[in-house]
Amino acid sequence: MTIRKFPLWSMLAVVLVVALVAGSGILRSAPPSAAQRAAAIESVVRCPSCEDLSVATSSAPTALTVRSTVRQLIAEGRTDQQVKDYLVARYGSSIVLEPPASGWSLLVWLLPLLGGLVATVAVATVLIRRRHAVDEEPAGADGTEPLDGVALEERRRFLRLSLADADAEYLAGDLSDKDYLALRHRDMLRLAALEARTPEVSGAAALRPARGVIVADQPVGGSGSTPFDRRSGATEDPAPADPTGGAVAPPPRRSHRSRRSRWYLGGAVAAFGAALVVGVSLFATNRLPGQTPTGSVSLSQDQQVAQSLAQAAVLENQGQAGQAAQLYQSVLDGHPDNEVALAQLGWLEYQTGRSGGRASLIGDARAKLNRAVRLDPGDFAARLYLGTVLWQRDGNAPAAVEQYGRFLADGPPTALVDQAAPLVRQAYQAAGEPVPPSVAAG
Amino acid sequence: MNGTFGHTGVLLGFAAAVVGVVVIAAGLARGRASTLRNGRLYAPLVLVGGVVALVAMEHALVTHDFSLAYVAENNSRATPLLYSFTGLWSALAGSILLWGVVLGGYATAMVWRFRRRSADELVAWATLVVYVVAAFFFGLMLGPADPFRHVAGPVPAVGLGPNTLLQDNPLVLIHPPLLYLGVVGFTLPFAFAVASLITGRLDDDWQGETRRWTLFAWAFLTMGILLGAWWSYQVLGWGGFWGWDPVENAALLPWLVGTAYLHSVMVQQRRGLLRIWNLSLVVAAFSLTILGTFLTRSGVIQSVHSFSNSTIGPLLLGFFGLVLVTGVGLIAWRGDRLRSPGGIDSPVSREGAFLANNLLFVAFACVVLLGTVFPLLYEALGGGQVAVGAPYFNRFFVPVGLGLLFLMAVAPALPWRKTSVETMRGRLAAPAAAGVAVVAVCVLAGIHGLEPLLAFGLGAFAGGSAVRALMLSVRGAWRGARSSGAPPARSVLAGWRGLVGRANGGMVVHVGVVVIAVGLAAATSFLHRGELHLAKGQSGTFAGHTVTFVGTRTVVSPSHSALEAVLRVDGGGVFRPALSTFGAGSTPVGTPAIDSGWRDDVYLTITSIPDTGGVWTFGVVEQPLVMWLWIGAGLVAGGSVLSAIPGRRRRPTDPVSAPSAGADRPAVPRGAGGDTVPDHRRGSGADPVPVGAGDPP
Amino acid sequence: MGPEGAGTARHTARWVGITVLVAAAGLVAVLATRPPAAVSEVQSPLVGKPAPPVAGTTVTGAPYALVPAPGRYTVVNFFASWCEPCRTEGPDLVRFQFEHQSAGDASMISVVFDDTVGAARAYQSQLGATWPTLADPAGRLALSFGVRAPPSTFVIAPDGRVVAYIVAPVSASDLDKIIADARSTNP
Repeated sequence: MTIRKFPLWSMLAVVLVVALVAGSGILRSAPPSAAQRAAAIESVVRCPSCEDLSVATSSAPTALTVRSTVRQLIAEGRTDQQVKDYLVARYGSSIVLEPPASGWSLLVWLLPLLGGLVATVAVATVLIRRRHAVDEEPAGADGTEPLDGVALEERRRFLRLSLADADAEYLAGDLSDKDYLALRHRDMLRLAALEARTPEVSGAAALRPARGVIVADQPVGGSGSTPFDRRSGATEDPAPADPTGGAVAPPPRRSHRSRRSRWYLGGAVAAFGAALVVGVSLFATNRLPGQTPTGSVSLSQDQQVAQSLAQAAVLENQGQAGQAAQLYQSVLDGHPDNEVALAQLGWLEYQTGRSGGRASLIGDARAKLNRAVRLDPGDFAARLYLGTVLWQRDGNAPAAVEQYGRFLADGPPTALVDQAAPLVRQAYQAAGEPVPPSVAAG
Repeated sequence: MNGTFGHTGVLLGFAAAVVGVVVIAAGLARGRASTLRNGRLYAPLVLVGGVVALVAMEHALVTHDFSLAYVAENNSRATPLLYSFTGLWSALAGSILLWGVVLGGYATAMVWRFRRRSADELVAWATLVVYVVAAFFFGLMLGPADPFRHVAGPVPAVGLGPNTLLQDNPLVLIHPPLLYLGVVGFTLPFAFAVASLITGRLDDDWQGETRRWTLFAWAFLTMGILLGAWWSYQVLGWGGFWGWDPVENAALLPWLVGTAYLHSVMVQQRRGLLRIWNLSLVVAAFSLTILGTFLTRSGVIQSVHSFSNSTIGPLLLGFFGLVLVTGVGLIAWRGDRLRSPGGIDSPVSREGAFLANNLLFVAFACVVLLGTVFPLLYEALGGGQVAVGAPYFNRFFVPVGLGLLFLMAVAPALPWRKTSVETMRGRLAAPAAAGVAVVAVCVLAGIHGLEPLLAFGLGAFAGGSAVRALMLSVRGAWRGARSSGAPPARSVLAGWRGLVGRANGGMVVHVGVVVIAVGLAAATSFLHRGELHLAKGQSGTFAGHTVTFVGTRTVVSPSHSALEAVLRVDGGGVFRPALSTFGAGSTPVGTPAIDSGWRDDVYLTITSIPDTGGVWTFGVVEQPLVMWLWIGAGLVAGGSVLSAIPGRRRRPTDPVSAPSAGADRPAVPRGAGGDTVPDHRRGSGADPVPVGAGDPP
Repeated sequence: MGPEGAGTARHTARWVGITVLVAAAGLVAVLATRPPAAVSEVQSPLVGKPAPPVAGTTVTGAPYALVPAPGRYTVVNFFASWCEPCRTEGPDLVRFQFEHQSAGDASMISVVFDDTVGAARAYQSQLGATWPTLADPAGRLALSFGVRAPPSTFVIAPDGRVVAYIVAPVSASDLDKIIADARSTNP
């Protein structure tokens, strides 16, 4: 299609890129859900009692046990690598279907990549070397190289056949004018150099171009712009006595430009290809967003904090106050202003202090709760805790009522309100305020 | 009785091979044509010996002759006839016997095909190599892998019966023989390669003449692998069809190298280039078949497929070493003579595309080989134990597969020698538009995921390119028929000529590969796996399908008994996954039931049965487009057959400057096979006929 | 690929050939020295480390927990009633238990692997096993020990470390030897 009025290829490229970006979900990547993480891990853990099956694909009892263990470990908050390490510590390193990217087993990942690199470099070197050789002396013509008669004859035969081939392809329309002339020129130069080395020149006729093919003195125009009339068989070449007769050297400037554009095109294609390969390996469906090619999931800071808080809440519900407190503290170590951790830790400290009679702990708790309330005035939990401390510990009904009022106004869940109702009512009654309807006994 | 006949047959085969080696060696040393001609007599003798042994073994299996250890271990009185018959190749020693017979057959065919040239040095050396390989395999049967070994101790009254999984499905009748026809067939090109290296005759004609053999072997190997995948799917119960098992890899490795060879040899035939590549690929393909045999039969790697251990390992390994040293050594020795007299003119040409094709296939074969042997290497390095499984291979398979799809799309439109951007843009516009349209439609339809989208898009691109090539060749055939004066109706029918021949059959194979790739991408990216807990009469839904547990059924027959669960899918067909026990006292295996549909397959297995009546657990896997895999396989088979049918006659005026320079070289980009652009430059529509250049003075 | 001088061609082909042959020789050497996979040991990462807690309900319904006692080695054997090799080692286990029962220097525990309680109980009573047999309905105990298939036997020292892991049928003499070795290195 030499008519350029319709930019088909540009449109195709744009549509393709847009579709791929939209369809691959790169743009909207949420942190992987627990189920997704479990599925990803299960697909790389081998079923212990099977050969070569992953626990995801096997229904053997050992596989089912491993799967439920994986889910439990994820719910406990372990990272993917920790889950795999847990299983490896029990079953050995062959329980994971992919060798770890460390130690000797790094070889199995590196060798293919290195090999590919070496191969690419080798091919590129050969291509570049030959591209330079084209412009210089025709290859094989340095007189120092001793070619025996058989090899010489082979080369001569090859060049003759190449010339015939080029003619046929040109007539069939596969080769453009420019390419045909370039190939022909080069091959004839080489053939001439070969003939020059051996006196028995038998191929004078070989240099005659195909009948009906124009190899004229006219400069080669742009592809398709100069009408060649093949069938009239006009201006056949005079039988050339000198090797270069009849061949038109393509204008060097044009070949420079075309060579450069070819490099650009090649570079663009290579870049696109490389981007695709990288994209494919990075965004393989087996991988969750945020996972590196070696399989680990690295959560962002916020995700980490959220995870720790969630885990601490679970521990609290299970009654493991000590561990929960440790977790909250670790969050605070990294993020001293995280008011959820502040509030929850404050509440735990208060409870511990109250049951143990440790005033200093209660003082710490109070400080934390105050800070939490200041950082986020809308946090109903902090309000509730602070109010409870004020009422239970200090007996300060008005202050407690103020907190409780804010607690109720912040839209807490009904279950929490019901739980806190008795205390809240007490505080209101002690302060002499009307009991709000949401906590009124009824 | 059977044992005696069998031993006789094996001995005959071995002796014939050895004597053949001696005779040909003598003939070559003395330079006597008559001796060389005698050498070809021994191939039929090898075949006869193998057939006698095969018949003896089959007879023993079918009549349950337990005096032979092989029959006692792999057959039982309760085994049905079909599975007794297939017991021949169900275990180690019998499979070597099958190998020997197939090799004898190939040797005989080769000797017959080249009977007029048996005094030719090249053919003689090739025959010698084939005899050596045959002697090795028959020698194995005389020693460590003796199928006719008498049972130690008293003759048992009952046999153990074949491996349970091998009694499950009639496919066991076809899959191993196909595989062997494929794998053993690579011996012939290897023999010719070695012969041409030794004799120094590095012309192209042997490759052209053995091209059909190689295609034949390759086609059978492809079919064997695809059937193996199908069998895996039907029998193994995990819902997948390819597990990157060491045995599967052992068959895949020669296939990868063989496919690269089939493509690359076209460059050598046309332009005389890539000689070293082709010789290396042939040597590699054959070496990999021996290495694969070693890996699966020596017991070094544990896999679901593996045959029993035996002492055959070191011998196979030694033979592998010998083959590799011979092949690589010869190539290194003849390196100077091997260089093609020219080079690739431009990387953006069909030669360049085939070179890239070689690189991709060889790279992937290296990855598969590395992954398969790496656990052994790691252990040897003292690192402990590590497993390399499907996730590793899939990671490399995806980029390589996508790259190959891209090449498949671009290469049929690429001319030889050199091309320009304009030409390619024009030719590939329609297929590229098809590819992008498919991607866009998929995204709009809600299909997400970079890999499957790329696979679908590139698949459409490649499919479009192949279809375009087919259409061009059909049109060329029409034109040819019309220009030779046939009436319009006949000339339309004559378009079938555009579908046969190497290039067109190849395009049909490419379409098949594209269909397989699309099915593979869909099935692996969008599958849903889960469980349904159903009591009798209950229904459950999974991935858009309703499964009703209707009832159970027990099936008892002399050979196997099964407890089947009767399930109705989507209110329509009834499917019966089962727990089957084959023979007495063996552990039950789960047999799946599959509801195949155009859009997806529902794969049902029984996971657990409650002790007391209650809730059964069924495993359900829903995979889209699995049917496409098998349709694609059919297309590949059909395309191979089309490819073997000769294409259009070569015109007598094709230029042939020197007689031995490949008389079958298609120097003309023919309408039926080459790639032509029907634009204003063409004349009357007849094929272009090059004249003039190259005529001897 | 290009018609460069024949000298370079010879070099390239030879060097590539040598590299391939050297790599292949390495591969062949490795492959030749591998033992058959069925025989090679599966190593347990637990050997030398503290054993996971062994606790649960026996097949007769009683609770059980392994308590380390000084000087007493414990043999933990994972079995199943459908497991053929387990049957071969059964009588040896009985003998081992009988020999060490009075001395009290070694005790035996069995754990059911992927089997029903009823079948396991029947199997043990048929064998004549008098030691505790733990049911492991969810397979958790097997997972904590990294058991892939029965029979798998662990020997635990008095201080709680795992000293041996055998993934094949054991004999009483095997066990005695293991315990004697362990005692000599670590009294």
